[in-house]
Amino acid sequence: MLVTRLRGSRQRTWASRDVAELSRLYRSICYDLSLVQSREWGARLEQYLNDLVAQGHNALYRSAPKSMAAIWEFFTHEFPRVFRRRIGAFSLALALFLIPFLVSTYVGWQRPDVAELIAGKESLEAARQNFGQDLYTKMDASYAGQRSTMAGFYVYNNTTIAFQAYALGAFIGLGTCFVLLSNGISIGMVAGYILSAGSPATDNFFSFVISHGAFELTAIVIAGGGGFVLAQGILFPGKRTRMDSLRFNGIESLKLALGAGAMLAIAAMLEGYFSPLPIAAGIKYAVGSCLWLLVIAYLSFAGQGGTADEG
Amino acid sequence: MSPPRKQKVDTRVVVETPEGADFQFVIAGAGTRAVAWGIDQLIQWAALVVLFMLSLFLIPFGEAGVGVGFGGFLIGRFLLDWFYFSLFEAYWDGQTPGKRSQGLRVVRSNGTPIDVSSAIGRNFLRAADMLPFFYTVGMISMLMTRRLQRLGDLFFDTMVIDERREWISRAGGLTANIEALARSECPRRFSVPERTLAVIERLFESDRIISDARREEIARPLSDALRSRFGYAEPPPDPRNPHPHFRSRGFRQTLFLLRVLKTFADNPAGTKNGTNDRVNKRSRAAAESPPPRGRMNPAAVATSDLADLLNGDLSENRRARRES
Repeated sequence: MLVTRLRGSRQRTWASRDVAELSRLYRSICYDLSLVQSREWGARLEQYLNDLVAQGHNALYRSAPKSMAAIWEFFTHEFPRVFRRRIGAFSLALALFLIPFLVSTYVGWQRPDVAELIAGKESLEAARQNFGQDLYTKMDASYAGQRSTMAGFYVYNNTTIAFQAYALGAFIGLGTCFVLLSNGISIGMVAGYILSAGSPATDNFFSFVISHGAFELTAIVIAGGGGFVLAQGILFPGKRTRMDSLRFNGIESLKLALGAGAMLAIAAMLEGYFSPLPIAAGIKYAVGSCLWLLVIAYLSFAGQGGTADEG
Repeated sequence: MSPPRKQKVDTRVVVETPEGADFQFVIAGAGTRAVAWGIDQLIQWAALVVLFMLSLFLIPFGEAGVGVGFGGFLIGRFLLDWFYFSLFEAYWDGQTPGKRSQGLRVVRSNGTPIDVSSAIGRNFLRAADMLPFFYTVGMISMLMTRRLQRLGDLFFDTMVIDERREWISRAGGLTANIEALARSECPRRFSVPERTLAVIERLFESDRIISDARREEIARPLSDALRSRFGYAEPPPDPRNPHPHFRSRGFRQTLFLLRVLKTFADNPAGTKNGTNDRVNKRSRAAAESPPPRGRMNPAAVATSDLADLLNGDLSENRRARRES
């Protein structure tokens, strides 16, 4: 049967004659199936034709395969476009992350004792100790080893947090709220606590955080925004039926989550290998600021013009 | 808009193709899916163990080696967590190893093969479905949807279908204690057209309210025709134990038809390949032109008589239904 032959080979390698033949055969089998069904000529024949139709259907109506070009197109155009289209969900996520972050930074700064109570004395103490000294003074094998482990850990840990923030949006956004709030608070506490410790910890900390933060913090918030897009699909279907709205918002939100995942991979590499480099804090601040500008410019301007397929 | 269809209480879903043909999928149940998931979980653990062993090979390279090994292990764990299912489903036509072992497949809910983004999306939402423990949320969602979809399936428009070909005996339990015909009993032809089998099947359908005696009467012309087609002769009663013979005497015809059914319909091997094509051609030919009666073999004539009889019956039923 032609279907079985075609199913094995790649789509690109199909001869045009075969495709024409396939569609002709497929239509005739569809006809047979409806005939057999309407005249009730027996379950087994129906079953057999049913299977043939299913195979042909799958061979004809499969979606176009994704290619490397599509992946490139996604990052240069699609992702920033979806981001801008769903700027509302992003803003909500940003507010839910930034406000608790700022509040807890202030609390941690002014009242380190309260921060110790909330976030746990040991972990905060450890963080301060960590940043109180120079992390690394020279680059050797031990540096390479430790930083590689940490890069792997950042990929594992941060991206998991971001994807969870996204997926838990399926509970009408409540899970996303929780993840954003708790992360905002804990990161803010650490930042505030270290502010209160004063130099050199403060300087070390902020010069460490600034470069990868551009990608990491933005990505976490974008993933949270993706979670809210999911929630929007459930709560506010608008003109679509609720099922259609779930599907539409599902795909849109997934694009946000995947883009965020890629940003987190970049962030993990920066955090692993660049941020802790034993170089002057000034250089790190300069590079970090550039990266922030880069991220903002990318999200605001990339993918404008060209082939617009808003939908 | 089509009128709302009566919902059936089973796990079949009918999908209509753009060509107007309907076909059915059997939706996979929670149990099978859980087994498939368990198998996939075991495979993931095994992969982690292998990854860990590989990272041990880097120990001789000193501190840097250990660090790189452990970092790689963590990245591998992350990839397994979030992309094991989706990459298999995307590039293995909707199946993971666990799903394949259970005969399950993920398809879009219009029946077409799953695409990459749906595969990734439905598996990202596992994080939500598996809460608070052992996919409680997912199961609740499956209970509430006709296609047994968990949240990931709902958002990304997919369903899990069960492709296992369970060979349901066509006559239900009817042929359970029936002896199949042996090739040696039939010196002439040893085959039955598909349509004839379908007619026999209809005759024994459980919702057909005919008394056994009436069924025996209806069966007579067809079974006579089949006997002559096979060249089958009833064996004489066994002189040592004649009772079964006489006990079944009143139902000779129906018993014979059941044996035919048992022989030719309950045998998946014989129908899998060659025969189906023939059947297919024949049905198409039959559809295009009404066959001239005179030239058909006696079995087929009997068949079509019986088919007319039964179909007349059926269309009356239909008319009654339409009127009510």
